[in-house]
Amino acid sequence: MAAIDRREFLRKTGAGAAATAAFAACPGAAFSQVFGTSAPFPDYKALVCVFLFGGNDSYNMLVPRSNAEYAVYAASRQNMAIAQTDLLPINPLTPDGADYGLHPMMADVQILFETNRAAFVTNVGPLIEPTTKDQFQNQSVQLPPQLFSHNDQQNQWNSLRGVNQSKTGWAGRLADLIRTNVAGQQMATNVSLFGSTLLQSADETVAYVMGSDGPIPFIGFDDNDAGRAQRAAFEQVINASYGSIYERGFAEIQKRAVAAADLISNALDNELPPTTVFPPTQLGQQLATVAHLIAARDRLQMQRQIFFVATGGFDSHDDQILNQPGLLGGVSAAMAAFYNATVELGVSDMVTSFTQSDFARTLTSNGDGTDHAWGGNQLIIGDAVAGREMYGIYPRLELDGPDDVSGGRIIPTTSADQYAATLSRWFGIPDADLATVAPHIDNFVQRDLGFLLL
Amino acid sequence: MQTDRVADRIATFGRMYSQAILTVCVLLLGACGGGSSAPPPTGGPPPPLPPITKAEANQFLNQATFGATVASQQNFINLRHDSWIDQEMAKTTSLQLPFVRALPRPQNLAQLQTDRVDIWFRNVLSGSDQLRQRVAFALSEILVVSQQGALLQAPYSLADYYDVLARNAFGNYRQLMGEVTLHPAMGEYLSMLGNEKPDPALNIRPDENYAREVMQLFSVGLIELNNDGSAKLDTQGQAIPTYSQEIIEGFAHVFTGWHFADARRFELARRTDANQTIPMQLYPSFHDTGSKTLLNGVVLPAGQTGEQDLSDALDNIFDHPNVGPFLAIRLIQRLVTSNPSPGYVGRVATIFNDNGSGVRGDLGAVVRAILMDDEARPDVPMELDGKIKEPIIRLTQLWRAYDASSSSGRYPIIYAYIVFGQGPLQSPTVFNFFSPFYAPPGEIRDSNLVAPELEIATEYLNTFITNYMFGQAFVNNSENINPGVDDVLIDINEEIAVAADIDGLIDLVSEKLMGGDISDTLRTEIAGMLALIPESEVAVRAAETIYFVVTSPEYAYQR
Repeated sequence: MAAIDRREFLRKTGAGAAATAAFAACPGAAFSQVFGTSAPFPDYKALVCVFLFGGNDSYNMLVPRSNAEYAVYAASRQNMAIAQTDLLPINPLTPDGADYGLHPMMADVQILFETNRAAFVTNVGPLIEPTTKDQFQNQSVQLPPQLFSHNDQQNQWNSLRGVNQSKTGWAGRLADLIRTNVAGQQMATNVSLFGSTLLQSADETVAYVMGSDGPIPFIGFDDNDAGRAQRAAFEQVINASYGSIYERGFAEIQKRAVAAADLISNALDNELPPTTVFPPTQLGQQLATVAHLIAARDRLQMQRQIFFVATGGFDSHDDQILNQPGLLGGVSAAMAAFYNATVELGVSDMVTSFTQSDFARTLTSNGDGTDHAWGGNQLIIGDAVAGREMYGIYPRLELDGPDDVSGGRIIPTTSADQYAATLSRWFGIPDADLATVAPHIDNFVQRDLGFLLL
Repeated sequence: MQTDRVADRIATFGRMYSQAILTVCVLLLGACGGGSSAPPPTGGPPPPLPPITKAEANQFLNQATFGATVASQQNFINLRHDSWIDQEMAKTTSLQLPFVRALPRPQNLAQLQTDRVDIWFRNVLSGSDQLRQRVAFALSEILVVSQQGALLQAPYSLADYYDVLARNAFGNYRQLMGEVTLHPAMGEYLSMLGNEKPDPALNIRPDENYAREVMQLFSVGLIELNNDGSAKLDTQGQAIPTYSQEIIEGFAHVFTGWHFADARRFELARRTDANQTIPMQLYPSFHDTGSKTLLNGVVLPAGQTGEQDLSDALDNIFDHPNVGPFLAIRLIQRLVTSNPSPGYVGRVATIFNDNGSGVRGDLGAVVRAILMDDEARPDVPMELDGKIKEPIIRLTQLWRAYDASSSSGRYPIIYAYIVFGQGPLQSPTVFNFFSPFYAPPGEIRDSNLVAPELEIATEYLNTFITNYMFGQAFVNNSENINPGVDDVLIDINEEIAVAADIDGLIDLVSEKLMGGDISDTLRTEIAGMLALIPESEVAVRAAETIYFVVTSPEYAYQR
């Protein structure tokens, strides 16, 4: 397929890296020269964030398989370890000296990886600046506050706020940056199918929240005299001026709901969804709807979209060995189905899905589960992905080793800022704007991890 | 004075004083005329108390019950605040477990979750202990356990857990902490149940789940607070973490050795119909006997019993000065307003710290302080007073006002959390349906204020609820000639009787749902729609009126 050929051509010639460097060398100017400051984008792109709530134990998702490294892993993980022979082998194009395998329930991802359509970023997590174990213990670097706490680390991943208060998320800021380029869009750039999320919160733009099966129309607002009168009266009520800040806040949501529900519902009703079969799970349903929305993108004049989907249950303090197969198998099947749907729609090189999660989990066990940790592995899928690679450094999974702060909590060696910056560059913002999306990107040498082909 | 309150409230959430806030203050100052007040009267006998208006009664009862009704308003006006609260606190607790236990045991215990939700609705709709039930619901959104997860198969446990909250709603918070900690529902939900001492050979260390969340979500929170709820700051102006990972590990070691009661051995303990409502039991050989580092530098000595460790550790948390302001903010937010001033938080926290008789943690005194505070019923309505009603309370208020019932007598609304985004013990995570700190984009966030309930008032859920209310008003009413046995119908007979008179109909619905206080816009729009409906279509007119009121921003707003 063309996208893969192009990617391999770029990789072999090094042109990808050269182009990246050239782009980075003329900060700010490149974007406006190419597109003009507010010109519409010439293409369509979508990012799909798959958030794994609770903290995915991703050192059981991507596991060292070669004997020496597996032995370290098994010694640390004890009764949480996946059997060496059960791991699904993967063969990165650029090996790091060890062999790796995937959780046995991730056969779909194994195929995508081996055929260059998927990549991992290893040991990535919230950081403010590069951090060693000594620096952590001496507190001689700034650290994200409230490490190991669910909501705080979800918020770090979503906002990249560091030590400062932030009311906006990185996808929200990304949408704000491109808002003049997508002025013709009839739907918000940011769409969530899993409730309000800080990731998409912004200063200038407002995310739209729909259900896992899309928006629902208002009953009673039919397209006839009675329905139009009903809708008009309803709109008069929500458009009235209110004395309380809370009434106004509520009315604002109702206004967006009324304005968008019929528009989007009609677009979906008039567009056949892709025929790809999705697994009958909450995540599968959400991704099926995202695929349907992407199919209907031209009806809503969409050029840039950021979707938020999610699934929970990853907070495996208990019964991890029992539950992890279903959790990771569910992610693998749903994300692979979504990739297949983008192929069917002919947009597989324009749509990139990626995971985020609160944190990885302790390498040690609490008996039948694990607790909250820090750095972990994330998965990226799509034909714009420079696939079959592991980006970043896979840590030595050794208790009290060089990266372990206690109990098998691994200090990230790649920051969530770098991860978001790489996704944002591909989405279409210039290097000069990266610090707006990823506020601490200047603290890291590598501003673009290279897992997406520009 | 009013302007001070605005600035105070902003400071509560420790935010910067921005131009946006200044603008809001200026606007408010204009609206409120600067807040000058009359001098206090001097000398003479105290004047008789002015009668309580319907609007005041309506406001109070929407704070303290599952929805003001015409009858409850009159009762409250007769009793006045203090006596009403006295009576409420003396009432017998409406329970869930006896109801759920009395039902035939189904093969699949998850089916009883519907009955658990049913008895919750029965209690909050028609239980006489309204204040207790409202406080219990608030507590269930702080001390969260949920049917979503392993507890789906433990309906007795969840019913009993809710009863613990209801029984202790006016009791002592230390007692409640103890009962919650050892309740098997919490034990399963936050995995203290089955937590065992370390086994270094296998790299097994105690589970940190309950240790972390009992501090973060149930008692002290992440950062040190002043008594008024504002953040304490260090010399660099940064917030001070309340605890470290070492302290979490200390508590994790405390919470070892507990499992379902009455098992022959720790390893053999399993949930049964019986033990899911009995406090967890200590199995001493699984308790870690080392020393444990707790809050404020306290170290428990090695060699204590599990019971002693637990008691000392809960005392250690309970005595932390954060607990008063932490709980004050959350309970005020659930009952009265999203953005209490530091003064309000401080007054309530002070009562938590000492109820006036030297007792710390008296929840009854805390609830009374919350409801009796001047800020709960300001003389001059302020832009920041009040809150958005919780979605499920928008439903219960409607149902109470309209004597809603099904022919089976049941309220099997197991899908509450899907339609309304919340339901009794149905939270998606221990972080509740919404965060106390949620600020929607727009002027609320720009003004450094919060509106927790709006986190779940998404475009999607608002549409869902609006449509549900459409079905409730137009289909599930007393005119429905062929309802399902479990369909909950509102009684619109009184509306039908006056429906020929448009103003009279709007007045009646407004009386029942808004305490008689309806905006001109809403009245005008409803009247316009009713004029399009033939006078003979009395039920449609009644339904239309109710639909427009219960989906309006002013109904969603709790003054």
